[in-house]
Amino acid sequence: MLSPLITTARESLRYKGSGHILWLLHRITGLGVVIFLGTHIFGMSMASFNPPLHEAMLAVYKTPLFSVGEIVLAACLIFHAVNGTRIAILELRPSLWDKQEVATRWSVIITLILLAPTIAIMAFKSISYYVTHGIK
Amino acid sequence: MASTTVTPGRTVRKVQPIPQTRNRLELGLWLFMRYSGLALVFLALSHFWMQHVLIGTHEIEFAGTQLRWGITGQPVTVEQVIWRTYYAVMLVLAVAHGINGVRQVAYDYFGHRPAVYKGLMYVVVGIAALISLGGIAALFMGAAAGSGEAALR
Repeated sequence: MLSPLITTARESLRYKGSGHILWLLHRITGLGVVIFLGTHIFGMSMASFNPPLHEAMLAVYKTPLFSVGEIVLAACLIFHAVNGTRIAILELRPSLWDKQEVATRWSVIITLILLAPTIAIMAFKSISYYVTHGIK
Repeated sequence: MASTTVTPGRTVRKVQPIPQTRNRLELGLWLFMRYSGLALVFLALSHFWMQHVLIGTHEIEFAGTQLRWGITGQPVTVEQVIWRTYYAVMLVLAVAHGINGVRQVAYDYFGHRPAVYKGLMYVVVGIAALISLGGIAALFMGAAAGSGEAALR
């Protein structure tokens, strides 16, 4: 049952270049975002149904482990958004189909441009919070 | 079926783009993934940058949610209706986009075992339906009155 997964893991790294690696990353980041999405919708709906549970969720959001996970989430979300935009634009505009390689490169460049300040601000705010408030 | 007619000097290819009924749904979902994805780029990134970066996760309090959603049983302002609509649209698009993404991944790895694939999708769709119905209900009701209110004063 797991053999297709193992084949994917092994072959993905040596199949056909940047487009293929972005395809794989698009899957992994999408699954990462969807898992957080589920827990996030549940946690936020508790603001209506169970305020103490909602506030417990907010407290978890303010722990170092979550802060690190949140930076991973930022990376997943921003990459998935930028790369998804590339996929949507290219697939809906056949006239651009000879620009695939340039597009994959820009996909990575724009992701990094958006991600760098995002991570910097998040890390700065997290660290200064833990320095002043301590770790609970 | 695609047909090719060859005339001297040029090739004309006639492609029938949409196979009959069975794959209409797949085509619709394929298009939905592109358009919902483009909408979510703006919705999800604006939400993430606003809450997790600009405000900062460590500054998020229950009181903020009560301000944006309004409180159950109390009159709702126009701004609160706009916030609730923004979250509801994002929730529906994101959950649908996410389920269909999971479906494609599940089909790729477990499609050759229909029982596993179907079972997995029933679980995924079931959990997603429960969570998102809860989310929509919460947005209709507004936040509970409670401890957070003290921070508003």
